[in-house]
Amino acid sequence: MKRRDFLKILGVGGVGTGLGYFFGKASKPPAAELIPYLIPPVDVIPGVANWYPSLCTQCSAGCGIHVRVMEGRAKKIEGNPLHPINKGKLCARGQASLQVLYNPDRIKKPLKRRGDRGKGDFEEITWEEGLSLLSKNLTALSEKGETEKLYFVSSQTRGSLNSIINNFMASYGSPNYMQYELIQNKNLLFANHVSMGLNNIPHYDIANTKYLLSFGADFGTTWLSPVNYSFAYGQMRQGEDGIRGKFVQIEPRLSLTGANADEWVPAKPGTEGVLALAIAYAIVEDGYYKGSDAASWKALLSEYSPKDAAVVTEIAEGRIREIAKEFGQTRPSLAIGGENLARYENGMSGIVAVNILNHLAGNIGIRGGVIPNSNGSRTIDFKNNINALATAASASKVKTLLVYNTNPVFTTPKAMKTEESLRNIPFIASFSSFMDETTAMADLILPAHTSLEDWGDDFADPSVGHPVVTIMQPAVSPFFNTVGIGDIILSLAKGIGGKVKDKMQWNDFSDYLKDAWKANYSKDKDMLASALTFDEFWNQLLARGGWWPADQAKVKSVAVSPKGIEAHIAKASSRFEGDEKGFPLYLTTYAHSSYLDGRGANLPWLQEIPDPMTSVVWGNWIELNPKTASNMGIKEGDTVSVESPFGKINAHVYLYPGIRPDTVSMPIGQGHSTYGRYAKGRGSNPIDILPFKEDPNTGELALNVTRVKISRVISSEKMVKIEGSTKELGRNIVQTISPDEFNKMNKEVS
Amino acid sequence: MAGFLERITERWKVYREPGFFKKLDHKWTMVIDLDKCNGCGACVLACYAENNLPVVGKDECAMSRAFSWLRIERYIDGEYPDVKVKFIPVMCQHCSKAPCETGCPVYATYHNQDGLNVQVYNRCVGTFTCATYCPYDVRRFNWRSYKFEQPLDHQLNPDVTVREMGVMEKCTFCIQRIRAAKDKAKDEGRTVQDGEVLPACVQSCPTGAMIFGDLLDPNSKAAKLAKSPRRYRLLEELNADPSVIYLKRVMKEGPSKHG
Amino acid sequence: MDRTITYKEASEDISGIITKTGWKYYAVLTLMAVSAVSFLFLPWAYQIYSGQGVTGLNAPVFWGLYLVNFIYWVGIAHAGTLISAMLYITQTPWRRAIARGAETMTFFALFLVSLFIFVHMGRPWNFYWTMPYPNQRQIWTNFTSPITFDVFAIGTYTTSSIVFLFFGMIPDLASLSHTATGWRKRLYTALSFGWRGTDRQWHLQAKACMFFGAFIMPLVVSVHSVVSWDFALSVVPGYAKTVFAPYFVTGALLSGFAGVLLMLSIMREAYPVMKKYVTAYHYDKVTIFVVVLSLIWSYLTLMEVVTGLYANTSQEIEHLKYKLAISPFSYLFALMIFSNSVLPLLYIFKKLRNSFFGRFIIPVFVLIGMWLERFLIVPNSLSRKFLPWMWHDYSPTWVEYSIPIGALFFFISMFMVFIKVFPIIAIFEVKEDIGIPMRKSH
Ligand SMILES: Nc1nc2c(c(=O)[nH]1)N[C@H]1C(S)=C(S)[C@@H](COP(=O)(O)OP(=O)(O)OC[C@H]3O[C@@H](n4cnc5c(=O)[nH]c(N)nc54)[C@H](O)[C@@H]3O)O[C@H]1N2
Ligand SMILES: Nc1nc2c(c(=O)[nH]1)N[C@H]1C(S)=C(S)[C@@H](COP(=O)(O)OP(=O)(O)OC[C@H]3O[C@@H](n4cnc5c(=O)[nH]c(N)nc54)[C@H](O)[C@@H]3O)O[C@H]1N2
Ligand code: SF4
Ligand code: SF4
Ligand code: SF4
Ligand code: SF4
Ligand code: SF4
Repeated sequence: MKRRDFLKILGVGGVGTGLGYFFGKASKPPAAELIPYLIPPVDVIPGVANWYPSLCTQCSAGCGIHVRVMEGRAKKIEGNPLHPINKGKLCARGQASLQVLYNPDRIKKPLKRRGDRGKGDFEEITWEEGLSLLSKNLTALSEKGETEKLYFVSSQTRGSLNSIINNFMASYGSPNYMQYELIQNKNLLFANHVSMGLNNIPHYDIANTKYLLSFGADFGTTWLSPVNYSFAYGQMRQGEDGIRGKFVQIEPRLSLTGANADEWVPAKPGTEGVLALAIAYAIVEDGYYKGSDAASWKALLSEYSPKDAAVVTEIAEGRIREIAKEFGQTRPSLAIGGENLARYENGMSGIVAVNILNHLAGNIGIRGGVIPNSNGSRTIDFKNNINALATAASASKVKTLLVYNTNPVFTTPKAMKTEESLRNIPFIASFSSFMDETTAMADLILPAHTSLEDWGDDFADPSVGHPVVTIMQPAVSPFFNTVGIGDIILSLAKGIGGKVKDKMQWNDFSDYLKDAWKANYSKDKDMLASALTFDEFWNQLLARGGWWPADQAKVKSVAVSPKGIEAHIAKASSRFEGDEKGFPLYLTTYAHSSYLDGRGANLPWLQEIPDPMTSVVWGNWIELNPKTASNMGIKEGDTVSVESPFGKINAHVYLYPGIRPDTVSMPIGQGHSTYGRYAKGRGSNPIDILPFKEDPNTGELALNVTRVKISRVISSEKMVKIEGSTKELGRNIVQTISPDEFNKMNKEVS
Repeated sequence: MAGFLERITERWKVYREPGFFKKLDHKWTMVIDLDKCNGCGACVLACYAENNLPVVGKDECAMSRAFSWLRIERYIDGEYPDVKVKFIPVMCQHCSKAPCETGCPVYATYHNQDGLNVQVYNRCVGTFTCATYCPYDVRRFNWRSYKFEQPLDHQLNPDVTVREMGVMEKCTFCIQRIRAAKDKAKDEGRTVQDGEVLPACVQSCPTGAMIFGDLLDPNSKAAKLAKSPRRYRLLEELNADPSVIYLKRVMKEGPSKHG
Repeated sequence: MDRTITYKEASEDISGIITKTGWKYYAVLTLMAVSAVSFLFLPWAYQIYSGQGVTGLNAPVFWGLYLVNFIYWVGIAHAGTLISAMLYITQTPWRRAIARGAETMTFFALFLVSLFIFVHMGRPWNFYWTMPYPNQRQIWTNFTSPITFDVFAIGTYTTSSIVFLFFGMIPDLASLSHTATGWRKRLYTALSFGWRGTDRQWHLQAKACMFFGAFIMPLVVSVHSVVSWDFALSVVPGYAKTVFAPYFVTGALLSGFAGVLLMLSIMREAYPVMKKYVTAYHYDKVTIFVVVLSLIWSYLTLMEVVTGLYANTSQEIEHLKYKLAISPFSYLFALMIFSNSVLPLLYIFKKLRNSFFGRFIIPVFVLIGMWLERFLIVPNSLSRKFLPWMWHDYSPTWVEYSIPIGALFFFISMFMVFIKVFPIIAIFEVKEDIGIPMRKSH
């Protein structure tokens, strides 16, 4: 081989990075990619890393990232230290998104269905073929005047991508753009809307609170904005002022977050809302509420005396009053209502109850309490949910479905029959880069870029009391033959032609994005105040990773009044399907810290790092209290069948003392039937055996809604956990001091 | 003759002068606040990503061959509802009197001038002695030549070796980052500043539980925290003199008033 | 010994062992060699190719069956030379019939010792890095490492054992060279280094043997002490025991003596002519050693357990619990006590000493028991170290079982070849025994 050939190969292997070089590249022959190395792009110095600011899309928190790029390859992802949400930190999922980019199971080219639907038999086609296939389908639909029979379902999408999809659907003439993913916090949004008049999620100021009362919020791993809250948690515990905040967690199964609490209150599943109201009652009754309308609150809450609630919740009356006292007297205190609470059948009213607590203790609008986010109110179409899609599909009202970045087949209960209704849809196109369960149902797959290859932006919700917008920019050039989702939509618009094309005249999505930002720029006083030209501003935006004001926005005070809230107060504890005799155990499910709603299960790092609470790897499990298990003659590692009135799955038993004896718990995320070599065939999916229940107000799917029975079965599959023993045996491994001792200590350096 | 003697005594000094080898350039130290750490495991993943740790799969994990240089140990005391869960991140403690170093016949693991317990992969012959002697069980062995499934190998960190079959490894305190910081400081004609070296785990930790710094720099955050009354070191009674300092978890003693 | 045996008869008897070989012998040898290849060399090649991953080793059990067998064979290697050297120095007459066999056993046992070091290492091809030699990289070995001590101790022991064995053999080789023909003649002539049996040569040979005998005696103690320090110098519960040096030395001798007993018994069965030279009298003497060593060993075992109990730390208690009660291997402890402490006591019955039971069964049990001792120390202790989170059991794989078994076959093959080349009984010493009344006669 000649030295020159050698260099060429080197060049092809290490394709350069350069902004503005990312598009239309996929179709070029390899030789074209040599040019950057013969004339090296300015920002590529072999052996020297570039860090590109961008956005983490692994969950909806919207953390800012820095991608370390060397010779055109992304090497590592770290938090953007300037970013107000995550302050340079990053959770395991965010760091693992590198393996989304370099996943061996990515869909590398457009695919067209060849065999039967859902059988996974596809043939490779070109982008031209793929795009024209889809535009022809859409043109045909529009010629028949059935534009409203086009449905678009995407994950929770904010910012310019959301607007371009909206734009496209509107130009095309279909109102049926919906967002669905398992964790959407619709109950929380709705509750905050009805009780505080907010149109977005407020900033829960955990960092500065002195008493945190959490109703099943696993904010250390999955709830809303885990990295932000984890940082805040560290601040709360060992903050600058040296006063350590107290933390009480109310949930039937100790989550990772709960495991760090000072006290655990294992109220009976489904009664947490009642407990919240009982605490509220005690606050009013015992005189910790100073408002003039105390009497009307008392009247409103009269059904929830601690004495009565003690029977329902199985938490002693004294303890309820004690919590009320501490919560009502410690300044500032903060109550938060997490997934566990929000995912009951009447989850929305549970959150309302939590908001009442914050109001009564005077926590709303203060530092260390609930700080409303003034910016970016968001309109959520509570009715336009996944069930609406399924119903329409069953009624043959859907002709063409476009799916982006969401996997309803996996994340909806079997009882909802999502898969069957999708089968009624004549044409499904997916823009997924992975063969997930929903994509496997598609007729056409046009794989979109992963977030490290694409443009975008995001308006964090919850934010941190002021607006935070993050820019997503391509850190590397596309690794496979994929196209950005925004560009796919623009190409479709061109392909369809007519008024759709006329209304969407952007060259590519990066232009669209820039235009959107020009608009923001000219509207926003703060942005204009920087006295930069737009191009300077834009470059600064890219260099910083996004936009947020230099100083914190003024806090808007919001009061919660008892009027009108009545309708949303829970009348009773939440219901569970299945009679107590036949199905003796409550099933609670939770989004797993690594796999989340299942999306992380295809990343080998996330499979390999042990689950924080059980140390299980490469599989899933069901958590049982050791007492419950021994009564049933079940040992750790046994396989059991978990049966609800709606179905049956198998799982391995993990004995966990941190769960109520009448409750079992399973993580969500495993049990994929497809989705790549790392995810496929590992454990089971608890969503499968849930009934289809949604909160009537919000359409949010309820997850903690059924009882189950379990029985041993024989299985050759083994549960693998990393832990040897969890007993410390007096070896003083994790040493402790009491809070009293701590308070006596001199203020520490920090 | 006199010259010869002089030479001998000069050399002798090198070996025998008290503190010659103890006079370190730095003494890198990790302080971990157990009251902040919530056990999330972000640091574990950061270490995988930074240090090219292989993913070994379910079967090897079952044999306790998972590669994590850093692990979160979780201890659970008590029974429902009086359950106490405690987390502790454990990586190589960079012991100043490291038992592992005594064990290695070939100096593949030794102490360097930065106070680090370093591991020279190329020199290791794979006797396992170091791992057996290490009281903290932090050493990991390349039981095979592990594959990085293509194209996942594109994410490999070029600053860190990909180890081959037959050698021992363990947490290095991200020595490549220490090197980079020292090189940069040298180029700029100054000493390394506090906070300039951020090992991957420290960098990622969402709660800010980990602080890294130079104990020889009295103004470093780590040196200050190391004096905290909450300070303790793991298995201190073994006298390995670890460089990882833990700050005690604040937790009520005795049963809590649950239920 | 039977004084009526003539010098000629003795010569012929013993050289007959070398020269008279039936087809059965070849058959057995072939079988052994083939087994050695298939159980030892092929699996080992597989291990070298795929890595140590084919074993059941894990974190924290990094030391497993290979190291067990390493110590085990060091132990076996001890009795041979020790018996010979000690008895040589004290001029104990009954040594003469058994010394050569014992020394040979040592020689091949040491062969296996080095073999297991290689099998155990992750990168055996770099083994020479453990030795101090001038090199461009200026890398020296770590003299504080017990593993380095090992390299020296075992190196020294191997060298001196070979020299001792060889020096003792020179007169025999010279005498064999007179009768042998072909390659044997050339070999024996070359190896006898011009031995002509002059007075001065006899004198020097005796002096050399005495020197090496005296040199080796303390070496035996030090070598196995050093081996014990591989463990005792760590902080691992179950390893860090001050009693380990004497404990290991005693155990080594116990297994070594049992090994010698068994070897002699087998050879006597294979070569009935040997019964003339190895008699009940020899069993009588050797078994007394076994009884005494067994008693000392039992005491030290008790000490080891009691010391742990006395310390009463969680580390020691959990380690003992694991060893004695709750591990997958805990039943082995009882078997070990039965083999090493109970059975050898039966030798106090004089009748048993020369019975089939005494000659075969007890030595076999002691050999197994001593193997178990090493097993119960090496991987078992590692399963319960300091941080309970990392506790993990060890289950060896087929490769780890196969290689030691193959090594045993290899040992036997080499022994069988040796017997056919060199006299397994010292001819000249036997003749001394027959002819000249000894100072310390029986
Ligand atoms: N600035 C700087 N200068 C250096 C060095 C450095 O690091 N920096 N390194 C030094 C070192 S270590 C070295 S080795 C030298 C290398 O310096 P050179 O020996 O000049 O090395 P090459 O550049 O490889 O050039 C060798 C030539 O041989 C040709 N060639 C290839 N194969 C064959 C063949 O089969 N037959 C013939 N006849 N020709 C063939 C090639 O096309 C090429 O033109 O450079 C030295 N100079
Ligand atoms: N791609 C490519 N690869 C090649 C070649 C090529 O032409 N192209 N050429 C081949 C050839 S001919 C050669 S000779 C090799 C050279 O390969 P290497 O020997 O790896 O050469 P360098 O990278 O020049 O230097 C190695 C390191 O030595 C350090 N160094 C410099 N001075 C000193 C010193 O005084 N002491 C110490 N300890 N370190 C020092 C440098 O900082 C550098 O990190 O590369 C070979 N590999
Ligand atoms: S919380 Fe984790 S997954 Fe979610 S955006 Fe932040 S880093 Fe990404
Ligand atoms: S923790 Fe273990 S590996 Fe690290 S220096 Fe200490 S003894 Fe050595
Ligand atoms: S495994 Fe390697 S580093 Fe460890 S003691 Fe052996 S040679 Fe040294
Ligand atoms: S310091 Fe570096 S090598 Fe050590 S545990 Fe942290 S990330 Fe891993
Ligand atoms: S990242 Fe920080 S908080 Fe999370 S486990 Fe590691 S040390 Fe603890």
